[in-house]
Amino acid sequence: MSDIRQNKLFTLLLLCIVWLSFDAHALFDPKMKAAEYWVTNEFQPSTLTQVEQMQEMSWFVEASKPYFGLQIRVVSERIATHGYEASVLAKAFFEITGIHVVHELTGEDDVINKLSAQIFTQQNLYDAYINDSDLIGTHFRSNAVLPLSDFMKQEGEAVTLPTLDLQDFIGLKFTTGPDGKLYQLPDQQFANLYWYRHDWFNREDFKQRFRLRYGYELGVPQNWQAYEDIAEFFSDDVKEIDGSRVYGHMDYAKTDPSLGWRMSDAWLSMAGVGDKGLPNGLPVDEWGIRVEQCRPVGASVERGGALNGPASVYAVDKFIYWLNRFAPEESIELNFTQAGEWPGKGLIAQQIFWYTAFVADLTKPDLPVMNSDGTPKWRVAPSPVGKYWQDGMKSGYQDTGAWTLLKNTPLERQQAAWLYAQFVVSKTVSLKKTLVGLTPIRLSDIESDVMTQRAPYLGGLVEFYRSRGRDVWTPTGTNVPDYPGLANYWWHYISQIIEGKVTVQKGMDNFAVAVDKRLKLIGARADMKCAPKLNPVSKREVWLNAPGAPKREISASQVGKTLSYEEAINVWK
Amino acid sequence: MCGNSRNWAIKGVRSAIANSCSKLCSALLLGGGILCAILTSTSLQAETIEVLTYEESPFAVKVGKTHHGLLVDMLKEMFSRTSLDYNLRFIPLKRAIITTERTPGYCVLPVARSQEREAHFRWISPVLVSRYGLFSRSNQTIPLTSLSDAKSYKIGSFLGSGIGEYLIDLGYDVELASVSAQNLRKLKRARIDLWAAELVSAQEQMQKQAINFGVPELIFYTSLRAMACNKEIPRDQTLALENALKSMYRDGYMSRLYLEYGVKI
Repeated sequence: MSDIRQNKLFTLLLLCIVWLSFDAHALFDPKMKAAEYWVTNEFQPSTLTQVEQMQEMSWFVEASKPYFGLQIRVVSERIATHGYEASVLAKAFFEITGIHVVHELTGEDDVINKLSAQIFTQQNLYDAYINDSDLIGTHFRSNAVLPLSDFMKQEGEAVTLPTLDLQDFIGLKFTTGPDGKLYQLPDQQFANLYWYRHDWFNREDFKQRFRLRYGYELGVPQNWQAYEDIAEFFSDDVKEIDGSRVYGHMDYAKTDPSLGWRMSDAWLSMAGVGDKGLPNGLPVDEWGIRVEQCRPVGASVERGGALNGPASVYAVDKFIYWLNRFAPEESIELNFTQAGEWPGKGLIAQQIFWYTAFVADLTKPDLPVMNSDGTPKWRVAPSPVGKYWQDGMKSGYQDTGAWTLLKNTPLERQQAAWLYAQFVVSKTVSLKKTLVGLTPIRLSDIESDVMTQRAPYLGGLVEFYRSRGRDVWTPTGTNVPDYPGLANYWWHYISQIIEGKVTVQKGMDNFAVAVDKRLKLIGARADMKCAPKLNPVSKREVWLNAPGAPKREISASQVGKTLSYEEAINVWK
Repeated sequence: MCGNSRNWAIKGVRSAIANSCSKLCSALLLGGGILCAILTSTSLQAETIEVLTYEESPFAVKVGKTHHGLLVDMLKEMFSRTSLDYNLRFIPLKRAIITTERTPGYCVLPVARSQEREAHFRWISPVLVSRYGLFSRSNQTIPLTSLSDAKSYKIGSFLGSGIGEYLIDLGYDVELASVSAQNLRKLKRARIDLWAAELVSAQEQMQKQAINFGVPELIFYTSLRAMACNKEIPRDQTLALENALKSMYRDGYMSRLYLEYGVKI
């Protein structure tokens, strides 16, 4: 007993010494003083104790000394999380390390253009990029991106944070190449989920009417048939709530690049186009591209892909049918940005495709979709799946913006940029950053008490990220060898279908042939690892009769199935 | 409708020429392939690309019949590294973009490469790397750690400026002058605290007005601009231009050119 007491006293004494030593250090070192200021006044709450935070900051102060006075440039897309980094964290980093960071904000397309330009020109335009991990297939093949797992063991060892705790990151599998190397470090993540009016779904009169009409409970749809039934129910049966026209579905389809992201952000995976296997399905992924070993061998059914297969046609068909049948009339003329404000108006019952990056925007207190106590009237839940989907497949999209260093950046600048990258994802900072931007990357943050307290105000975001769903909603994977080039095909070919210029089947055939052609062109580059090598063209039946994707047509309809919100979340527990 | 017909007619003529050339080549290849290669190369060389640009000093300036500026120098060097010919014309940007989109054989520069434009053109990029900075008065220092430190200051830009719109979008207090040159006088007279300007243009304007604000307090944004070509431009031509541009960056030509205009890339 006295031993225990002695141990406790000893530990307490040690903690006091550590604390005092930091305090003394802080008194004399302006950088430590700055660290203390930021830890106390900004980086709260944290999953670390304040002493641990100061230890982490002390490491940054020491490790950054060789780079004092250096100015580095980084660029990222323009969302709230990066806004916080650019305006608050870059400033804190400068005061703590003496490294001046110019953190630019721009569109994700511009980030990609700039990264490509640096590779093309060999000019050091930026020292680091926060770039979507959808490019992982491009990056690991390019030989232009620095594999971080190598860097951390070699030139970057001295500037790699000992408390980085890579295993705590939930998105590492999205940023790792088939060669097992880590190419990017996640900085922010958000998913694309099902969004619905929880309050309307719980109205007894609606529940009763729905049960009478469809024979099952109004609840979170588990499949596309239930989604369609609910869409029909609100658009055609309920029609008006409190004197306002309401709709059972919302989407957008303007001929615009955002229509491409609407599709390439894993719409086909929800229908069940690809194969089983996470994160993207093997050998056929949700873009319908088949790989053998690591080589893409075709997107068309004729070459073993699934882009123009029955499941893809079903996915696009449903998209168009729901849009025309159940969404507000103007939705066909809207792009992503214009459609984004609709759920907040309080006229939409459900939306199958909704980015959680907008949770913060949709929890503003003055919106008609918010309760007076600050809780939302809406919820997000795992998305319903189409009739080709089976257990073991990915089920939707998750965006992972991740730190990317290029090989042609001078070493000293890579090292300084790596310090900044780690700073903005460090445990000292990450919980606060998560609360600001609601784009979690660390398991420790997601499981923290702070997030438990915030959960009722975030409409299901925390519950989703605490579930296995966070592994099943995934970004574009390694099968796509040229994301910047191929991503444009989506809106070009899908818009032709939506505009009625071609049938869905013909449009998807054209699309698949175009992707095959592009894969062939990329494959001509002799220096590329895992370069595409097209399969010979076969009859469709050859591949449709083989197991897995591309899948034969399923003519039977789904039977609508719904669950309560709690049950729906538990599916992915 | 009229434009489409015209495009179709041009395409038809080009296609007929291509077919004839292809048939001729096949015949010649039977008799001896070398001559065909020479003919193909000659036909490539003979094709002149119409390049459209617009007045934007000091990148592209037209004085009488002479053209000068950073982009004019860059174009001359780029084409000299290929076997292609070009003809440079100055017309307003909007018209230049429409003409290029509709007419095979045309290119336009400098153009911002946006998602909306991406699929409508073939791109040679980047032909221009522009850095934007915030200048303060020469007798005043405004320490800016990050762009957000400029939130409390009045920033000068000009109507139609992309960087002015960018700052307004981000919530900065931006005062737009009708032309860029007015900002120098406004800054000198303390009517604005900071002047947001592209560095090459800023150098030229300071020189012209004999005002020196020194180096910017913060270089806060980089923009890349490209040459957009009509989608029907032959693949071998874009490849030749891309390779020429790549070599100009990699052998230091571009760095030297930018230095002539007073800035680093």
